[in-house]
Amino acid sequence: MQLLKNIKKGSPGWFLLTAVIIVLLLIPNFNIIINLFGEAGENWEHVKNYLLINYFQNSLILVLASGFLTAFLGAVLAWIIAAYDFPGRDFLSWGLILPLAIPPYIGAYVYQGMFSYTGVLQTFLRNSFELSLNQSYFDFMNLRGAIFIYTIFLFPYVFLMTKAFLAKQSASLLESSRLLGKSDSTIFLKIILPLSRGAVVAGSSLVMMEVLNDYGVVKYFGISTFTTAIFKSWFGMGDLATSVRLALMAMLVIFVLLFAEKMLRGGRKYSYSTSNIRPLSRRKLEGSKKIMAQLFSYGVFFFAFLLPTVQLIYWSFLSRGGELMETLYFGLTSFLTGGGAAVLILTGAVIVATTARMSSGFISNLLARITILGYSIPGAVIAVGILLFMLQLDQVFAFLQSGFGIEANIVLSSTLLMLIFAYTVRFMGIAFNSVNSGYEKIGENYFEAARTLGKGVTETFFKVDLPMLKPALMSGFLLVFIEIMKELPLTMILRPFNFDTLATKAFEYASDEMIYRAADLSLLLILFSAVAIYLITHRRKRREK
Amino acid sequence: MKKLITITILISVLIGLGTVAYAAEEVNLYTNRHYDTDEEILDRFTEETGIEVNVLKGDSDQLIERIAREGKNSPADLLITADAGRLHRAKKREILQSVESEVLNENVPANLREQGNYWFGLTVRGRVIVYSKERVDPAELGGYADLSSDKWQDEILVRSSSNIYNQSLLASLVSIYGEDWAEDWAAGVVDNMARKPQGNDRAQATAVAAGEGDLAIMNTYYLGKMLNSDNPAEVEVAENVGIHFPDGENGTHINVSGAGVVKNAPNRENAVKLLEYLSSASAQKFFASANYEYPVNPDVEASELLQSWGDFEPQNINLTELGIHNETAVKIFNRVGWQ
Repeated sequence: MQLLKNIKKGSPGWFLLTAVIIVLLLIPNFNIIINLFGEAGENWEHVKNYLLINYFQNSLILVLASGFLTAFLGAVLAWIIAAYDFPGRDFLSWGLILPLAIPPYIGAYVYQGMFSYTGVLQTFLRNSFELSLNQSYFDFMNLRGAIFIYTIFLFPYVFLMTKAFLAKQSASLLESSRLLGKSDSTIFLKIILPLSRGAVVAGSSLVMMEVLNDYGVVKYFGISTFTTAIFKSWFGMGDLATSVRLALMAMLVIFVLLFAEKMLRGGRKYSYSTSNIRPLSRRKLEGSKKIMAQLFSYGVFFFAFLLPTVQLIYWSFLSRGGELMETLYFGLTSFLTGGGAAVLILTGAVIVATTARMSSGFISNLLARITILGYSIPGAVIAVGILLFMLQLDQVFAFLQSGFGIEANIVLSSTLLMLIFAYTVRFMGIAFNSVNSGYEKIGENYFEAARTLGKGVTETFFKVDLPMLKPALMSGFLLVFIEIMKELPLTMILRPFNFDTLATKAFEYASDEMIYRAADLSLLLILFSAVAIYLITHRRKRREK
Repeated sequence: MKKLITITILISVLIGLGTVAYAAEEVNLYTNRHYDTDEEILDRFTEETGIEVNVLKGDSDQLIERIAREGKNSPADLLITADAGRLHRAKKREILQSVESEVLNENVPANLREQGNYWFGLTVRGRVIVYSKERVDPAELGGYADLSSDKWQDEILVRSSSNIYNQSLLASLVSIYGEDWAEDWAAGVVDNMARKPQGNDRAQATAVAAGEGDLAIMNTYYLGKMLNSDNPAEVEVAENVGIHFPDGENGTHINVSGAGVVKNAPNRENAVKLLEYLSSASAQKFFASANYEYPVNPDVEASELLQSWGDFEPQNINLTELGIHNETAVKIFNRVGWQ
């Protein structure tokens, strides 16, 4: 009865479209999961006996350490930016998101290249001062190095979410604490941190998923993790069943961690008794405190963005700029593919999110879970699910063609459409979250008013909801765009003939140990993403003013 | 109604995007190579034959997986990839077909192609020992067996065993000396390692120059790349290390990058033509030197740089053996803890 009521509120067209999208999202995942129910692959025993413990340890260390450090770094920086005022604060409030523009694998190549024996630093010391350094201090190619790379290039996830959360908090809490004579560090540890725990955890769980699924960094550094085991047993031993088992175990690790955190947090929830919230006002910093805040924030910005970018510019100069026209061509391909796919993904996300809004809590929760599924499975594993699905579709088309005597030869696999579909499966969750949070901000009042005035669901959507959703759509679009620009495994496996993006080309050069040739490609990629970040943050600012 | 029309147009455009237009004469190449000189070679092939070449680049293992999954609908005609172990894997997954060609038999020596002609080597590289010119007297060096001896305690630098080059090296030793010997040898090398395996082949040579160990195991072409690097510091490293071709018992381990015609190749004839062209004297010189490798074609001389390194005696086995023993090699690595 409850369900029936819900459907009445919506319209069958929306539900139908949503159902189609959900089925499309689920099939590739289903293609993969079905492998679990066959017998274990022939290599499973071997993998289990010799590799699993080591891989498990490494993955766990990487995930926990990166998760914890990004949480710390992101939360502290968000607090500094949200609560204090000092010269450069306005720039840093978006500048600290910029590291997100640098894909971790490129960051890894840059840092290793910079600090290695043949890198700028050591060469300079050797040639100018005949100073030889102990190599082990400058060794990035180990667990420590990987954690460093993940932390500096992924902390913006936590920073972004925590900053947005703090901006909505009431000033009265802070003022009361200050009146009661608490120091700022006590306030941060005792009040701000517990209060924003949800946002911090949400950000660092994104980081943990990225780390667990990352392949570029660990491959280059030669660290064995779950992901390397997945690739080893699948591509190395041709054993998909074993690799799917490993992929699902990896997901389990994340779920256990998140569940444990939720249990620890318990049912604690914080809310204000008044709806009239005065936002946090920033305190002007003076003297040594000002310098410390600047030193810390600019320091992070320096290592996580400025230094790698400058090094890339220098390398691009060393390789004499490479082939400019070629670079621009790949840039255009990336831009069009990323932009086109992002439009498509956002359209799908709006349809699903609108349906979710019209549905009961259970269904809308379920929809949210399904859309994020593609993001939590390693990209390479999804790629095969997609390929299988497209091949199945091709067979259906072939059957229809022979049945109806149609001349046209429709082949979907090995086309750009397949790749765009793959992006959709992978990044739908991100788009959905953006749209959904947009809807949450709008609330239901306008929607209900329009409906009461006799407008249909679809008309209400186009005339009332869509215009109000625009900012959320824009930031959703840009987020998805950045992700696609950086995306590697799906593009590598599913791309059509004669197709290269900035990311694949840069990775090819870099993994071929021609990092200098990768430099200008990486720079253009970073530029695109950086502009997208600038647009997201500055739209928000303009609205706030 | 307007919306409906828009949607219809959108869908038709998407399907149009998805439909591959089949040109008259073409060949679809799946390759792991990405050198700029390759483009020139392929362009010349098109000029001479009128056959368009469509290129799909990717990671070797993933290309193989993709062809296997595409099955009989695969558009792939020719697969180019590095390492005999990998080519064998492709054959085992039943994605290649046997090719009888006079031209190929003449251009590619018998031990550098698959016994049943499922794949053909195109370029040759050696896996050699690189040593510090300062600290090591090359007279002390021997064959691979020597690397497990106590005198190299904490001196050996080598990359991870997940890398196919190491797997093929060990597979060659399994083929020559048997599994037990190979396992003892691998355990001995692990004992002698200067550090946990990390980084790529270049990183090993750099570590030798930096004094982290005296010896590194690496492929010849990486040294060529370092000597021609844009980074002056890397050139210096390459100049400070010497190259030693393992001799003694059974010569230097060699490997190939090679190609095979795909089982369900829609343009089989064109694929064979392209393969023959790549093995021909005129293409071989550029194809091999693009990556500082030795040509397979005995009529073609190696580049000057490679000749300056001197002659060497290759292991006397058919490269098919590398694939046959790959799985054994991988399992040995895991058992002896070679990361």
